[in-house]
Amino acid sequence: MNIKSGKKSSENPILKFCGANSYVVVFIAIFIVYAITSSGLTMNGVMNVLRHSAVIGIIGLGMGVICLTGEIDLSVGSMLALDGGLSVIVFNMTDSILLTLLFAVLFGALCGLVNGFMVGYVEMPAFIVTLATMLIFRSFAQYICQHIDKPFIGGGSSVYKMANDQSAYQAFYNFGNGKVLMIPIVGVILIGMTALFVYLTTSTKYGKKVYAVGSNPKGARMAGINVSAMKISVFTIAGALVGLGAFLWIAMNASADPATTGNSYEMYAIAAVVLGGISMSGGKGKCLGILFGAMSYTVIDKIIVSLKMDSLINNAIKGIILLIVIMVQIAGPRIREKLQKK
Amino acid sequence: MSLLSMEGICKSFYGVPVLKNVNLTLEKGEVHALLGENGAGKSTLMNILTGVLPKDQGRIVFDGKNLESITIRQSEELGIAFVHQELNLFNDLRVYENIFLMKEYTKGLGYLDKKRMITEVKKLFDELGAKIDPEERVENLKTSQKQLLEISKALFFQAKLLILDEPTTSLNNDEVAHLFGIIRNLKKNGTAFVFISHKMPEIFELSDRYTVFRNGEFVGTGLIRDTSPIEITGMMVGEKYTEQSVYEKRELTDTVLELENFTGEGFQNVSLSVKKGSIVGFTGLQGSGSSELMQGIFGSIPVYGGQMKVMGRKVANNRIHLAMKSKVAMLAANRKENSVIPDMDLLENMYLSEHTLSALKPVISVKKEKERFEKYRKMLSIKANGSSDRITSLSGGNQQKVFLARWLNTDAEILLLDNPTQGIDVGAKAEIYRLILELAKTGKTILINTLEIPEIQKVADTCAVFYNGNIVKILEHDEIDEVTVMLYSTNAAGDAATVAV
Repeated sequence: MNIKSGKKSSENPILKFCGANSYVVVFIAIFIVYAITSSGLTMNGVMNVLRHSAVIGIIGLGMGVICLTGEIDLSVGSMLALDGGLSVIVFNMTDSILLTLLFAVLFGALCGLVNGFMVGYVEMPAFIVTLATMLIFRSFAQYICQHIDKPFIGGGSSVYKMANDQSAYQAFYNFGNGKVLMIPIVGVILIGMTALFVYLTTSTKYGKKVYAVGSNPKGARMAGINVSAMKISVFTIAGALVGLGAFLWIAMNASADPATTGNSYEMYAIAAVVLGGISMSGGKGKCLGILFGAMSYTVIDKIIVSLKMDSLINNAIKGIILLIVIMVQIAGPRIREKLQKK
Repeated sequence: MSLLSMEGICKSFYGVPVLKNVNLTLEKGEVHALLGENGAGKSTLMNILTGVLPKDQGRIVFDGKNLESITIRQSEELGIAFVHQELNLFNDLRVYENIFLMKEYTKGLGYLDKKRMITEVKKLFDELGAKIDPEERVENLKTSQKQLLEISKALFFQAKLLILDEPTTSLNNDEVAHLFGIIRNLKKNGTAFVFISHKMPEIFELSDRYTVFRNGEFVGTGLIRDTSPIEITGMMVGEKYTEQSVYEKRELTDTVLELENFTGEGFQNVSLSVKKGSIVGFTGLQGSGSSELMQGIFGSIPVYGGQMKVMGRKVANNRIHLAMKSKVAMLAANRKENSVIPDMDLLENMYLSEHTLSALKPVISVKKEKERFEKYRKMLSIKANGSSDRITSLSGGNQQKVFLARWLNTDAEILLLDNPTQGIDVGAKAEIYRLILELAKTGKTILINTLEIPEIQKVADTCAVFYNGNIVKILEHDEIDEVTVMLYSTNAAGDAATVAV
């Protein structure tokens, strides 16, 4: 969905870069609006953008890899709630940050594997499979929260709370809210994961196969790629990333609400992926764009806060920006072509 | 007066001329072969005639009318019909609905007069001798029937000029003969045809006159009976072209591939033994199982029984990956569907298969890959600017060479080539066959499935003729000719052969 700009070689290199990386342009534009509307842009405020983009950005990376193969995962939001909730229980039981992390990632991968198995092996449509698991995961998260012994969920009744009498509680909370050299730890993790996925998709054989499956599944199969296995693997990877996201979520919030945590996150993740220039039909786009896509949305939140608008208008603005960006991406080349003809 | 005259037509895209001052005249009731390699400008000219593209310069006179600018609708109303290579039919609709789409007969109030439409279509089919049920859904038709349907559609609305773009690619010999019969009948009534084809025998069988283009330029026109295939090929390719025999006999000893009672979807109990370094042709009518057997060997379609041995080792044939590991490679038919990864560049397209074999070393070394690409580019003379060109920017022949490189790069010993010259022009075809011979000399074993017997005749050591899912005869190099192959592939010699064995 990137604007193709390779047609004329005489083109301005800056324009060319913007054409190929439209997500940067979008992010900068939104950020300028933010800088203007917020009275006094602080370093802290800028760093908070990273912090608040961490969970959605990491989920977005998983969604991006799935979208590159031409599939979709609607269950990531519910998966975040379930994984987050169960991870809280694990933390309350073990008092170990490491075990909690391990559990969160493995459980996420398991959820992803279930999706992947049904999409890749049974060959059911991903939209339907993940729509179903979206309902299932959310329901499990809520049911378990109601029916488990109270001490496991930190004594509350409808929210998974980390028990603050655990010895590792403070360390865990500090991890979620701390900084290294001004940068939030969770932001560092987001940047690290983005770098890892940019590397994975551009410089490894696995990455090339992901693109090939999305671009032409039949051709990929005839070239020797096991398309089912690839699909199972991308869903599993995305699940593991949701697990990491859930771990960061509880580190930052010390709780997970089964009813609201991760609500609409599948939509935000898809939007970040699309804004980042990845084609929903697969095979096209870059993982770096997802970081900017996710941050763009966080900045929109900030703009609305600084304008003191009702946060209920939030989704309308996000939706409109998504429409405009996609319209420019799709109609732009067409308009340019017409201008060239004349 | 001519039915159509196009004079001095020029057309360029983004400043690049694709048609330079070309001419074409057509008489009523003639079949006019429009010839040239891919990219010679045939399709562009036909697109101008049918209103798909505007012309830059030139004069078009059709049926006495001077046409300044043509729209698609106008050309339809004038009676010009384009039967495309890729058929433009609606698979979910019925035959008569396809013919009458947007031109339905109604009884008033928009109520369709189905009965009248069906009767008229039936009448037309009877006249044409087409055995098609007007109420059948198009998806249930054979390709040849679909081709006939496209032609019928044009005739129904009184087309005076039919453009047939490679109409025989997916037809078997009987079907081709039937189609040609219909064309000859229509000629008598004054319908004119532009016939675009790469198959010389057909061109000489059917056409009255020819026009040749090369690189967007008009090369010549004349009567088919005054020329020869060699002369025409020379005009198309440009330099002095002679059909020469490139085949040379080689010493073949070791067996590299053995099939025993190999059975799968579309073939049964096939037993075959192939020597290392040999070139084996597979041929047979459409649906005879030759292509299916290749896919079975490669593991891309299910195999139910029998066994396969590669270099003496038994191979399970239900996974493409296993076949690849035992050094079997397949250049699949239908390049666009089965080979091209459209969003990837040449390097990525070429390395895809090697990557699946070397997945344990997950990191890519771009430098090394580019060196290998350069090596194959020289060896196969792939015409491209560089390894980062889009695969879709290459011509069919060059794409096919990239995919050949894809498999050579996996160090495959046995290459299965399923219809490798499909949609490739004469020059590139000759080049591909030269490459095949060279590869065989280096010890690669090559199996080629094709319907074009002259191609096998040039290179194959042996030729396996398929009929009804089995090999009915294996011909030695000297025995391969069109008549003999046809004899066995229609099983005309079948009974005699069984008695002889």
